[in-house]
Amino acid sequence: MASLVPCPHCGARPKEEFTIKGAALARPTPDAGTEAWMDYVYLRDNPRGLYEEYWHHTSGCRRWLVVTRDTATHDIEHSRDVALSQLTDIRP
Amino acid sequence: MSDFRLVSKPALSDRTPIVGKHISLEALPEGHVILVMGKPGAPAAETQPVSLSDGQPNAVRTAGPGQWLVVGDQPRTQKEIEALFTELGADIYGVDQSAGRVRILVHGTMVERVLGKGTSVDLAATSFPVGSATVTLIGHIATHMTRTDVFAFELMVLRGFAESLWDDLLEMCKEFA
Ligand SMILES: [Zn+2]
Repeated sequence: MASLVPCPHCGARPKEEFTIKGAALARPTPDAGTEAWMDYVYLRDNPRGLYEEYWHHTSGCRRWLVVTRDTATHDIEHSRDVALSQLTDIRP
Repeated sequence: MSDFRLVSKPALSDRTPIVGKHISLEALPEGHVILVMGKPGAPAAETQPVSLSDGQPNAVRTAGPGQWLVVGDQPRTQKEIEALFTELGADIYGVDQSAGRVRILVHGTMVERVLGKGTSVDLAATSFPVGSATVTLIGHIATHMTRTDVFAFELMVLRGFAESLWDDLLEMCKEFA
């Protein structure tokens, strides 16, 4: 696990200041069907390499971030504020 | 009617301050603390909290995007605070936190060394100049930290954590006191 996480508002902070929610996935539409929702709620890919996950800067600015982290090297490539970067957000 | 008298006392009233050549630690008066919440990035929001402040230096401190803490040594009544809130514009709100947060002043030439034991924030005066404020963990306690002078930092914690943070700070100060 990466030990220093870059927060777009606070700079590099130790992981202890954050709460991790898990993979940042595209939310299906309400009528997408049971299978799509089962996937979204329960199934995870566990990829090797870069992937996006939600981090909350709980003991800092208290903003929700999307952090792009490499599961093999633990390097963090990028982090962004979810609400302030709606345009580039992964939600459909 | 309760059987015993309910006495309101400051959270750190039974703690003895440190007064040292290189480091000093003291609890600040429990005056007022007002949290102001606006829309992050809204252009006029920056100037709004100033109307609530008593005009002292560092009375308005940033507390994350679109949030500020307005602090001062003088207590304010509910009425005074409500009157101040009516001056706030649309989409910006104030919450009286005076009873919920406690302020501690750490000052002295060793202050960066002391706080550096508990937080990862770069406290060098070049990257965290006078007037800077942020929220960070000091040990295990989320703390709002403001640099009020070159060798002075004000720490603000939730009331229930004040004694724990104070006791941690005592340990951190020990070698310099
Ligand atoms: Zn942050």
